[in-house]
Amino acid sequence: MAETLLRIEDLAAGYGRVTILRGATLAVAAGAVTTVIGPNGAGKSTLMRAIFGLLPPRAGRIFLAGEEITGLGPRELLRRGVVYVPQGRNLFPELTVRHNLELGAAAFRIPDLDARVEAMLDRFPLLAERAGMQASVLSGGEQKLLELARALLLDPALLLIDEPSLGLSPRTTAEIFGILGGLRDRGVAILMIEQNARSALGMSDFGVVLDQGRVALEAPAADILADPRIGRLFLGGGIG
Amino acid sequence: MSNVLQLLLAGLATGAIYALVAAGFALLWQTSRAINFAQGEFVMLPAFFVLAGTEWLGLPFWVAALLGLLLALLLLGLLFKRVIIDPLLPQGVLPVVIATIAVGILLKESVKEFYSAEAQPFPALTPGGNIDVLGAVLSLQDVAVLAVAGLAILAMQLFLGRTRLGRMMQATAQNPEVAEILGIPTRRMVLYTFLLNAALVTLASILISPVYLAKFDNGETLGLVAFIAAIVGGFNQVRGAIAGGFLVGVVDNFGAAYVSSDYRTGILLLLLIAVILLRPEGLWGRAEERTV
Repeated sequence: MAETLLRIEDLAAGYGRVTILRGATLAVAAGAVTTVIGPNGAGKSTLMRAIFGLLPPRAGRIFLAGEEITGLGPRELLRRGVVYVPQGRNLFPELTVRHNLELGAAAFRIPDLDARVEAMLDRFPLLAERAGMQASVLSGGEQKLLELARALLLDPALLLIDEPSLGLSPRTTAEIFGILGGLRDRGVAILMIEQNARSALGMSDFGVVLDQGRVALEAPAADILADPRIGRLFLGGGIG
Repeated sequence: MSNVLQLLLAGLATGAIYALVAAGFALLWQTSRAINFAQGEFVMLPAFFVLAGTEWLGLPFWVAALLGLLLALLLLGLLFKRVIIDPLLPQGVLPVVIATIAVGILLKESVKEFYSAEAQPFPALTPGGNIDVLGAVLSLQDVAVLAVAGLAILAMQLFLGRTRLGRMMQATAQNPEVAEILGIPTRRMVLYTFLLNAALVTLASILISPVYLAKFDNGETLGLVAFIAAIVGGFNQVRGAIAGGFLVGVVDNFGAAYVSSDYRTGILLLLLIAVILLRPEGLWGRAEERTV
């Protein structure tokens, strides 16, 4: 496996009295796409929220490039090059596309912010065409594109992305996966959660199967795709 | 015709005050989901800060007004948020509603007890007199109210829409979790909206008190009407609440002139009911989605 960028050791997290993530251990390689799959309730989104400091870990440790980041909040993680795109709609509907994009760098005073925004609009011409429109008028795919562009404004080293294909057409999903593949080629490490397991693993380097809050399998994506136990897992059986 | 124009302009002047106060309702609701039922008393109080400055401390009016603004920012902005809203909001909206009603009563009774139960004259912003606008006679005070409130609303809109800080406040209001994910200091943004609300009610207080005099119970009707204005315009949209303020001011004035001044609040309540029935999100509001 390539050099590890993110290492998660025995991470536990949950809501109220319910512990959802129960000692997950996994690694995310630098410059690679790692996809986490698993049935509903396995703890995938909880994992993301705990990594990004939105949910305090109940146990375990998280390391980024060897430095412990357990319990750090979003601002500190953004400073360290980690960005997070949650599932669902994550825009500010009454702000324009350009202003939504600018807010990707809201945590910091960036002297060349305007130049970065322009560069991002050049990179995503569809957004450039709609730069002055309210974000609420964008289609689902365009909204996800804007979220991605916003996340990339800070030139992240690690992108955490939760269910990017949720509610999108197969064509738009393929476009989004294409962009993620391009990011990987530029050296960005990606930790992705995806229900659309086959497509996601097809473009990933590594896969992690999460089941009942624990990592059931961590392997090259191709090996997971070929594993007959995976289909059974999604049909309700365990992986063991 | 000139009579209609006169009613319209005077209604807009009163509506400008409602707009300031209604915008405050919307700001607090949008950023913190707090409804401040002491908002009327928040408008009543700064006038007494100014009067205390001029009469007890002998300060010139504008210095006293500045002192009133500072006190309002401290007490009605910072302290109100820290002592009332922050501890109670996690318990739900209802405790906040009850607590703010209590705050309103406390402020009202305190002014009555410690200052005076009598209506107090308040320095006018302009010399007395009227001007003629296309045959409509408008007092200079109304013109000043319309101009100052209009400029304040414009400045606030420019601040919220054209500055980085304003957009971060808007982002916090529209989607606080995503704002946090982007590293926006959401708690500070919420505090700023409370301070902005304190500034708005102070301005409303200074504008309205020369007309209605400073009195401990001024907030009762004003708070209710501004609340109606915010709902009619759109409680989740500052722009909607502002428009609602102007609309309610005009409807109130026409209702008092052509229907009956005895039923002016009733007319506004009818307007409120009609809007709630036909367009619950308000005339310029945004329908909200909830996931269960």
